Amino acid sequence: MQDRILIIEDDAETAAAVAAVVAELGCEAEIRGTLDEGLAEAGLGDYRVIVLDRMLPGGDGVEAMARIRAVGSRALILVLSALGRAAERVEGLEKGADDYLPKPFEPDELRARLRALLRRGTMQVLDNDLLAFGELEIRMKARTVHVKRTHVPVSPKEFELLTYFARNAGQVVTRMQLLENVWHLHFDPGTNVVDVHVGRLRRKLEDAGSAAIQTARGEGYVFAPLGAAG
Amino acid sequence: MSEAPLRARATLRLAAGMAAAVALLALLAMGLQYRLVENRLMQAQRALLAADLGGLAALYDQRRIIALREAIAYRAAAPGGEMLVLLDREGRVLAGTRDDWPAGLAAEGAGFVIDPAQEVVLDGDRWLVVARDLPGGFPLLVGRSLEPVDDTLAALRRGMLGLLAALLVAGAGVGWLAAASVMGRIGRVNALADRVAEGDLDARLPGPRSADEFGLLETHVHGMLDRISNLNRATHRLSDTIAHEMRTPLNRMLQKLGRIEGQEAVVAELRGEMRQAIRVFDSLLDISRAEADQGHGGGLVPVDLSAVAVEVWELYQPLAEDKGLVSSAQVAPGVRVLGDRNLLAQMLANLLDNAIKYCGPGDRLDLSLEAGAQSVLRLVDTGPGLPDEMKDAVFERFTRAERDRARGISGHGLGLALVRAIALRHGARLSLPKVGKGLTVEIAWPRAPG
Repeated sequence: MQDRILIIEDDAETAAAVAAVVAELGCEAEIRGTLDEGLAEAGLGDYRVIVLDRMLPGGDGVEAMARIRAVGSRALILVLSALGRAAERVEGLEKGADDYLPKPFEPDELRARLRALLRRGTMQVLDNDLLAFGELEIRMKARTVHVKRTHVPVSPKEFELLTYFARNAGQVVTRMQLLENVWHLHFDPGTNVVDVHVGRLRRKLEDAGSAAIQTARGEGYVFAPLGAAG
Repeated sequence: MSEAPLRARATLRLAAGMAAAVALLALLAMGLQYRLVENRLMQAQRALLAADLGGLAALYDQRRIIALREAIAYRAAAPGGEMLVLLDREGRVLAGTRDDWPAGLAAEGAGFVIDPAQEVVLDGDRWLVVARDLPGGFPLLVGRSLEPVDDTLAALRRGMLGLLAALLVAGAGVGWLAAASVMGRIGRVNALADRVAEGDLDARLPGPRSADEFGLLETHVHGMLDRISNLNRATHRLSDTIAHEMRTPLNRMLQKLGRIEGQEAVVAELRGEMRQAIRVFDSLLDISRAEADQGHGGGLVPVDLSAVAVEVWELYQPLAEDKGLVSSAQVAPGVRVLGDRNLLAQMLANLLDNAIKYCGPGDRLDLSLEAGAQSVLRLVDTGPGLPDEMKDAVFERFTRAERDRARGISGHGLGLALVRAIALRHGARLSLPKVGKGLTVEIAWPRAPG
């Protein structure tokens, strides 16, 4: 069965752009232009993800999240809003959004985030102590990394970075996602500080013989330890 | 905290002033009264003395010294408030209310008129006396005691003193009540202003306005507050609207950019420009929001500044290393401040980004956070530093050194303006100490409660 995604967005062009990304992911998009219509639809349909605007006819999407829960929807919520300052993003996440993407957005960025949300529901929890990706092994409790049985020394932050990659193996993760999820920072630092960190980790792995981290076309990186670049 | 003694002092000053004014006026009135009474009493004693002299003169006209001597002897048998002494040629007392002529009193003239009269003090009492040398060498002394006058005046003074004391107490009391009531009502307005200063823009005074100047003052203050909060709301609405109206078209542009094919370089450049424009725009909004929230603790929670500093340092340190900077961080653990984690991280990121941007290979970059009564965060670099004339302006928006433009270092001059706005938002003091080389930024944090 196709996953369904509800788009509550009053700007038709933006809604169409989101719907295009949803279609690329192989999901079915449903568009509603006002908050009340969106709420009604959220209660009726079985949606995996709701893409929610903030400044909608009828009110603020972030304030309406409790009402979406109240109508019985268990969809994950991605807020997509022009209110994109760091403080507003933190506010949205604190009020229960599962992700928050400021406008204007890159389709690649939205795709990466929607994919991460879609996977979240199905992914088995990483409670294994050992994560093995072919020759690359990550031991969670000991916080060690081995490539071809050789220990690769990584800093604590690099270990967190690697486990975030591992959790999203095979998928494009963007710089913005890394900054938010690994460093818990919700502002655009201007310089691509994240690249320096990924570059270091990548070199360490490559020196040990693993080309697990690769640059994805456009907006980010992909962790493909088994060779097949996504 | 310092308001209570301040109010007490103003009340006290007003009360004392009112009491003093009342007492001064009363004192003036009583002084005039006193003078009047004193004069009238003295005149009465003079009249009595003149009558005495008149009687003695009539007797002297009839039978000279003999008659005087008899009359004085007769009067001396039952002495009242008078003094009579008559001497013979050898200075012996012929008759009198006392046994001798008062020492040092000289007789003047020979007639029975009241002038010249003199005031003397005899045995502790004041007397109004007339001393004469009657023809043939008979000195005569006639006097009236001023004791009744002095007694009356003393009683009057006692009464006046009592009255004055009562007036002072009453004046102070009334003054205190009046001042306390005035100060109390001003205090209400002051308390309101304090609450507003702490960030509660919706604070208002309860109860109806009275129909006097104080009621008018409260109405004016309320009117001003209404205006401020309307403006505030309008500003917030405006920044949301601007965000919406600017980002929505930008979003459409970005989506259309995605459809352009074959000009990757131009498209990437345009994307970069758009991202930069949004950064500038967000920084401006962040600065004005931080400035608007300045000085009130709303929205601030205890934050582990040490942890934030270490995290942001670890994010930027490799960047410094790659650029060839020699870097170190000494962050005391467990420094907590009342703050907004996200803003603090943004502030540190801006500071580090700025330092790394300006330093070159071989320069030092040291971050330290010292715990203490006042925690001090310090970022020291040995880069090009700042020209002295820029030190004041560097935290203003859009301030950029000419040489940066010349050297092609990009930026909008908003990074340090945001740093300052965030520091002020947290009540921290930002300074640029004078150093030999490079730039040192110091931020002193207020102690976090608990």
